[in-house]
Amino acid sequence: MKKSLSHPFLLLLILIAHAAMLLLVVFSFGLTPDAVELASAVLLFDFIGFIFLQFVHREACTVDSVLLLVLGMSTIYQSCFGGLTFAKKHFIFAVAAFVICQFTYLLVRNPYRAEKMKPLWYLMFIGLVGAIFFLTGSRGIWIDLGFITLQPSEFVKPVFVLICASSIRTQLHKHTLLGFHYVPDNLALLACTAVIAGLQWYCRDLGSLPTFVAAAGCGLMLRFRYLREKISLRLVIFLCLCVCGTAAAAWHLAPAYVQERLHSDIWADMSGSGYQQVKALTAIAEGGWFGKGAGSGTLIHVAASRTDIVFSAICEEWGLFTGLMTVILVLFLPASLLAVPPRSYYHSGLAVGVAAVFMVQMTLNVFGSCNLIPFTGVTIPFISQGGSSMLSSGILAGFLKAAQAPVLTGGNTAAETEGGR
Amino acid sequence: MAKQKTDSDYTPQLDVSAPRSMRVAGRVTSLLLAAFLIGLFYLAYVLVSHSPFYMSKSGATGYGTVYDRTGDVLFDGTKPLSSYPAGQFADVGNLIGDASGQMANTLVGRNLSRLANYNFLYGKEQGQVSLHTTLSHKANKAVYWKLGKKNGTVIACNWKTGELLCCVSKPCVDIAKGYDNIDALPENSLLCKAFYPTVPGSTQKVSTLAAAYEKLGVSAVNQMQFSCTGTWINAKGQAIKCHEAKGHGTQTLTQAFRNSCNPFFAQLVQSAKLPLSAVIETYTRMGYSVNGAKADSMSLDGITIAPASTTLTDAKDFDTQWGCLGQGTTLVSPYQLMLWECAIANGTGTAQKPYLISSRTDVDGKYSPVHSAGKTDGFFSAETAKAIQAVMTENARTQYSYSLGKYTCGVKSGTAQVEQNGKAYENSLLAGFCLDEKCPVAFCVVIEERVNGELTTAQLTKTLLDALSGINSQK
Repeated sequence: MKKSLSHPFLLLLILIAHAAMLLLVVFSFGLTPDAVELASAVLLFDFIGFIFLQFVHREACTVDSVLLLVLGMSTIYQSCFGGLTFAKKHFIFAVAAFVICQFTYLLVRNPYRAEKMKPLWYLMFIGLVGAIFFLTGSRGIWIDLGFITLQPSEFVKPVFVLICASSIRTQLHKHTLLGFHYVPDNLALLACTAVIAGLQWYCRDLGSLPTFVAAAGCGLMLRFRYLREKISLRLVIFLCLCVCGTAAAAWHLAPAYVQERLHSDIWADMSGSGYQQVKALTAIAEGGWFGKGAGSGTLIHVAASRTDIVFSAICEEWGLFTGLMTVILVLFLPASLLAVPPRSYYHSGLAVGVAAVFMVQMTLNVFGSCNLIPFTGVTIPFISQGGSSMLSSGILAGFLKAAQAPVLTGGNTAAETEGGR
Repeated sequence: MAKQKTDSDYTPQLDVSAPRSMRVAGRVTSLLLAAFLIGLFYLAYVLVSHSPFYMSKSGATGYGTVYDRTGDVLFDGTKPLSSYPAGQFADVGNLIGDASGQMANTLVGRNLSRLANYNFLYGKEQGQVSLHTTLSHKANKAVYWKLGKKNGTVIACNWKTGELLCCVSKPCVDIAKGYDNIDALPENSLLCKAFYPTVPGSTQKVSTLAAAYEKLGVSAVNQMQFSCTGTWINAKGQAIKCHEAKGHGTQTLTQAFRNSCNPFFAQLVQSAKLPLSAVIETYTRMGYSVNGAKADSMSLDGITIAPASTTLTDAKDFDTQWGCLGQGTTLVSPYQLMLWECAIANGTGTAQKPYLISSRTDVDGKYSPVHSAGKTDGFFSAETAKAIQAVMTENARTQYSYSLGKYTCGVKSGTAQVEQNGKAYENSLLAGFCLDEKCPVAFCVVIEERVNGELTTAQLTKTLLDALSGINSQK
């Protein structure tokens, strides 16, 4: 296998980026114990990550490298909001996300084995939905374990992506009922989507529904394209009408609290429903291109500043330029599959599903907090605070890493079996 | 018969040619990425371009200065207003406003983002932002002090260019003195009445005349004659009274316009020759909201002006006829009356849209002129505009030559019967224009609760024109 020389170079870039940010932190706060702790944690994480990549396994290093960079930046951001306090909990979850990414990679890097585990994915889906329904209580979305609170709906996302990806090759297995041809797996996917929609409606938390719908849409698109030269115009029109009809129905049938968000004018209710967004936009304006300085932000006093409006919090302290670069950096994760395309149908489904989830989540967060679309309150993968979100994003990153790995057949990589191509 | 394909026929391999479904994956991802990146760039554009607005809304930034056309200060956000001479802002408080948020529909209130001493690159700072206006503070003060103890509003603009030259609304808050106790202020101190609809009185006859000219033609209307005996009974047996109890006898249009004869114009409205639909059509073109139909509100550099409105349902009914005479449910803002006078004065039926901000200096001191906002839609034809101009000029020549002195004007007076808070009173109005080359001004003057012997609208107009004479050189 060709030995790549890019690892040390990538690590150097990551180190330079983190060191520059840490220098700014030290410049703002001095060499305080928190600053030392933060710098040690981030740089140590970089070194361990590098050693892991260099000596343990070197496949699909793009995802790992970007992940290391993003997780370190995220820890620095979260430690500096409103003043320097090392975000220990966030850092631990960041490390956990990196680790879980590797485990997930090992689990699904063999597409044939992963596809055979389809019943397990459906069982996990049912288990998680049951947990949300029975364990959260009072139509909520959180499970309080005392020492930690979990958001099971976050873990539904990777399971759902697995379900979306797992049946692409079953499109030939058509059944007929009352003259209609159908593929059972497609109906199962639609049923899962409907269950999620119903559950979110029940929990009064429709914020992440677009994420699931996007993943399901991408999954169905790949299934429809399986072995087909072209999608007929009739099918395209039918699908477009379905999407428009569903969107129109949802728009009109949405509950009162959603309608309020869809039609609210934040500037007309600056101290009420528009409070968070007004503060978020003002913070971005105050930050300008290059920010007020690490720890100098005031958005920390607004609810959800570390999660739902984290983009604005970053822009306030580090500037819009850094905020945009951070978002684009997270985009590198799904974009990496353009450079190293998936080599199986299954991994294609995984990669597209993850891309849809990441991009829709970032769209909802960034554009919603900036008042370009209705504000829903979802997280930016790896950047926002929240253990469930971080771990779930780590699992999804593992899928992306698997999608860039060579296809395995019978314990050997296809590359090896086909002469190292 | 073709062999049924099975899964094993499509066992995935490491395949550089990439099967279709995999290629689709790349395309879908590219599409999502492209859409997101485009959205991100658009977001950056919106954030940067709207950031002064966000800052102004947050109250977290300082503001610049507003000047009149000669450089006199109308508002200053860089230092306490109390440091200016007493009375400096007494006449412009409810037009120019301030940054407190109490007076939203004012120049400063509507242009906070343009006046914010802020930019995205440098953030908050003591910049050089300023707005230069077309207003003549000298004329404004002259009119304001001329009003004395009377309340009212005066608005005037250059009908050639659209520059707003004078805008007074009394009572007016003095922003230099502050106004913590709003309840203690006289009613309507915080709003500029020139922008809000009021009963137009007989100045409405200009609109009705325009409708008649548009439908029947100038010569046909000018040849019309109706009789006035003091009281005219319409087709439904309802009485329209004239202010001249003995009546004006048989009159031509010019005579009736000069006499502001209600029966003449009521008979014109009821006339079978002038269908009500024609009146409604012309009114609608002029910007009225007729019978609740939607009409566009107007804007003067962000200041919102509500459109005129009236109810016209039956040409034989008193309420409709009364509405066409400028009473009852008919409401027009002095701004809009002035706007129509512009279209009459220039003889085209179309007016230059008035504007107040002539230039802006940004936070870095970069000067950028603001040009005219363009022309309005046509209110009526040029022929109608010229004919009305002739009638109004004749009216001014015969009725107001003494009061208006040397100026060649066209005017229409009005007396509006107003009832507010259970109290009935009359407002005196004068809408018109001056055709002199040195004073190309269209105006509307309103004096509230005027009684005989007090300051007249013509005297106030004379003060206005004196102050604005030679206005083009006051820059």
